Amino acid sequence: MGLFDKLAGWLGLKKKEVNVLCLGLDNSGKTTIINQLKPTNSCLGEKNWCHLLQAQAQDIVPTIGFSIEKFKTSSLSFTVFDMSGQGRYRNLWEHYYKEGQAIIFVIDSSDKLRMVVAKEELDTLLNHPDIKHRRIPILFFANKMDLRDALSSVKVSQLLCLENIKDKPWHICASNAVQGEGLQEGVDWLQGTD
Amino acid sequence: MIKKFDKKDEEAGSGSNPFQHLEKSAVLQEARIFNETPINPRRCLHILTKIIYLLNQGEHFGTTEATEAFFAMTRLFQSNDQTLRRMCYLTIKEMANISEDVIIVTSSLTKDMTGKEDVYRGPAIRALCRITDTTMLQAIERYMKQAIVDKVPSVSSSALVSSLHMVKMSYDVVKRWVNEAQEAASSDNIMVQVGMVLVWLFICPPSCFSFIYPCLYHVMFPMHLQYHALGLLYHLRKNDRLAVTKMLNKFTKSGLKSPFAYCMLIRIASKLLEETEGGHDSPLFDFIESCLRNKHEMVVYEAASAIVHMPNCTARELAPAVSVLQLFCSSPKAALRYAAVRTLNKVAMKHPSAVTACNLDLENLITDSNRSIATLAITTLLKTGSESSVDRLMKQISSFVSEISDEFKVVVVQAISALCQKYPRKHSVMMNFLSNMLRDDGGFEYKRAIVDCIISIIEENPESKETGLAHLCEFIEDCEHTVLATKILHLLGKEGPRTPSPSKYIRFIFNRVVLESEAVRAAAVSALAKFGAQNDDLLPSVLVLMQRCMMDSDDEVRDRATFYMNVLQQKQKALNAAYIFNGLSVSVPGLEKSLHQYTLEPSEKPFDMKTVPLATAPITEQKTEIAPVATSKLPEKPAPSRQDIYQEQLAGIPEFQSLGPLFKSSEPVQLTEAETEYVVRCIKHTFATHMVFQFDCTNTLNDQLLQRVLVQMEPSEAYEVVHHVPAPSLPYNQPGSSYTLVRLPDDDPTAVSCTFSCTMKYLVRDCDPNTGEPDDDGYDDEYVLEDLEVTVADHIQKVLKPNFGAAWEEVGDEFEKEETFALASVRTLEEAVNNIVSFLGMQPCERSDKVPENKNSHVLFLAGMNLPDIYFILKGSE
Repeated sequence: MGLFDKLAGWLGLKKKEVNVLCLGLDNSGKTTIINQLKPTNSCLGEKNWCHLLQAQAQDIVPTIGFSIEKFKTSSLSFTVFDMSGQGRYRNLWEHYYKEGQAIIFVIDSSDKLRMVVAKEELDTLLNHPDIKHRRIPILFFANKMDLRDALSSVKVSQLLCLENIKDKPWHICASNAVQGEGLQEGVDWLQGTD
Repeated sequence: MIKKFDKKDEEAGSGSNPFQHLEKSAVLQEARIFNETPINPRRCLHILTKIIYLLNQGEHFGTTEATEAFFAMTRLFQSNDQTLRRMCYLTIKEMANISEDVIIVTSSLTKDMTGKEDVYRGPAIRALCRITDTTMLQAIERYMKQAIVDKVPSVSSSALVSSLHMVKMSYDVVKRWVNEAQEAASSDNIMVQVGMVLVWLFICPPSCFSFIYPCLYHVMFPMHLQYHALGLLYHLRKNDRLAVTKMLNKFTKSGLKSPFAYCMLIRIASKLLEETEGGHDSPLFDFIESCLRNKHEMVVYEAASAIVHMPNCTARELAPAVSVLQLFCSSPKAALRYAAVRTLNKVAMKHPSAVTACNLDLENLITDSNRSIATLAITTLLKTGSESSVDRLMKQISSFVSEISDEFKVVVVQAISALCQKYPRKHSVMMNFLSNMLRDDGGFEYKRAIVDCIISIIEENPESKETGLAHLCEFIEDCEHTVLATKILHLLGKEGPRTPSPSKYIRFIFNRVVLESEAVRAAAVSALAKFGAQNDDLLPSVLVLMQRCMMDSDDEVRDRATFYMNVLQQKQKALNAAYIFNGLSVSVPGLEKSLHQYTLEPSEKPFDMKTVPLATAPITEQKTEIAPVATSKLPEKPAPSRQDIYQEQLAGIPEFQSLGPLFKSSEPVQLTEAETEYVVRCIKHTFATHMVFQFDCTNTLNDQLLQRVLVQMEPSEAYEVVHHVPAPSLPYNQPGSSYTLVRLPDDDPTAVSCTFSCTMKYLVRDCDPNTGEPDDDGYDDEYVLEDLEVTVADHIQKVLKPNFGAAWEEVGDEFEKEETFALASVRTLEEAVNNIVSFLGMQPCERSDKVPENKNSHVLFLAGMNLPDIYFILKGSE
């Protein structure tokens, strides 16, 4: 905006801001992923609460509606819209499609039964007029890879027919949000596309 | 760029209020910048302010547009600007009910309420509780519990107050938070303690109250909270008179710290006194009287005003209260003087002698620098003063009438109209004064009060008619209120033709046709027609004027002109009477319903006006003497009359559907004493060949449930009881209705009056007074009611004939019947008139029920309608 901002941008002091939508079915681990990505010092004031969070990821309550979180990486500043995944709130996603510059789509890779539901939601998303003609990057997390009956990321991408996405850059990586494994890989990819 | 934007906005406002000419669509368009990144907090704040402004101005937002704006607003949660975030909370609260899917912000708000910014936490809790419904409450329950025990007082009190609100919605969930509330109380934070007690009061079963009272008393020293707690306690138990009495006893004995709480106690006590009709020797009255000696002026005033407003108060009881008010009249505080004189003003009509004692103090207040106080003082003096002082007071008041606000001018007008009733001889002074006031500037309410007052003077006092009409004519020459203009035109049409020189009104009326809006022109045409119909020498000129009106640009005006033209040209008295003087006398909602029914079931037969229920005569005759102008504040819309409501109710019962239209419903008759086990009152509905008796029964025993309640009727004459519709069940204190259908005797049309002996029969099942759970088996029982009489009045419907003379002429001589009755038992003329009116149940016309004083003979005009559609018109003289 102002001259100062521009100057800061040139000098690389100010990071570029990106709006990211975090979507996926309920109980797939969206909020847990975002909490992992958030810098821990942001919740110094409530240490106990934060500690609790990390110790027991299952303590996270279902998101109702959405919540906005921010975190920074080496070159970008992310603003994440963590959307609720419960069935009756999924139709509210579309209100936020317009300003999403990237999408994180989280899949519970141990939930084979609802893989079709995830595919259906993904298809609806991709065919939405606000998304269809834009080249926005989509990052897939095949979450909960630590569970014994979890599918591999290759298997997940097959089930979701990700190879059919031709006009958008996409990437899938397996992750374990509770331990934070695999998340950095995904975020690095997201940084690279932009 | 921001600067530029603001400047443009200010220019658009161009005045003191920058939001004056906001367009909803433009604002919503602007709201799109919420979607832009990065967010510009200043601009967004400004737009949110505009949205909230519009909402508070009563602008209607459609669901779609509101939802769109709401979702755009949710994006502002990205910004960490404190002011903006708090504005978002406000917007959420405002839009909670008009936007869809407001729960979208639930997680954002729970995040804020558990976050580290204390500034956000309280408001976030309050916003959250506005968007939460019962199903969602479970999800946020955990956070609420945490918030109640929070260390920060603002958070904890927000949570407590919000939970109070939610108690109404989901009592069961909030009840579970009682432990948290208790924990909060154990902290030494006074604010929290108080809030805790409030929540407790809602949650605890009544049995715990005895424990809470001392708690309240010892914990809640802060003054206002005592007041709030008392208010709450009262609201919790106001349906339980016994509990309220107990509470009052407790507090009146122990005393309170807060003057507000005292005022509340006085109000509760006086309400209770009124409900129980307790005598003035009761401890409650003693308490109120003792408050007259309280050290807070507020409490003293409240007590005085409570005593003064009590019905049937003796002079001895009034004296201390009035002397307190008198003391206030000379207080240096304007508020106290105002309060005192206002109260005195209100009761001046009821207890003139008591107020007269303050006359000297009131005289001093006439010159008070506060015009409101002066006005009230003068109007009070007008109400209580003697006839001789009227002129002086009127002069005084006219010196500053232009300086007081409309509201007080209305008070002045009310006082004048009361005065006119008291001293009819003073009407010329009043009329002059009123006409001067009418010429001054003023709002609608004020003008209407004056017009109503002048009209009532004209009606009361025939001598003032000419001057009054002249003033009104002058007023409508320059009147911007359509309602008043049409009202006056109607009055001119009614009264004008019977004045000595009717021709002078024609000019005023015809000016309206030339100059005014459609509604006024139409009213003017109707008024003209009445002149033409009644004055033969004016008829030719009226016809010419009518001819001109037929060229009017408005349909209604043209239609009326054409119609009246044709009727007038016939030159028949009967036609004139039927179509010009006495218009339709049916009830408007009834007519609407019948016509709707007719269009639904088209038939060959033309629409029959006789199937439409008649309009019951308006009750303006019973206008109370104290506030003649206050009655005009009733809603203008024609509410369905009592009879229309009954018609609807009866039509819902299958047994009564074949009876035809309801002819008349009587006033309720009490069949029991007021304080008995069962309270029964009866309403008599008359149909063409049947009567339906509606018994409204109330069971006042809380340990009984009555079932299959019906009233057995034994007629004394040839009436035949056809059918009973019992009330299926009658729980404690819930009124129910039982009906009895009776056929009128066909063979003897003169057997109109009859006496029924009534017995109520029912099945009793004892039940637990607390739960209302009835026993399995019951027993039959009966209860003897007082006898019920059917009289002539039940068969006659009142019909209002605005122009009695014309209607009388229309009937003609051959139907006239003359008989002479000697009324032996009555002593005064007035008593005789009242007896005749109530016995026959007919409508007195032309205000002939008012008997002038000191006359030996009086002519009474009565109009009514009998069952087989015969109009009765009765002219009685003595």
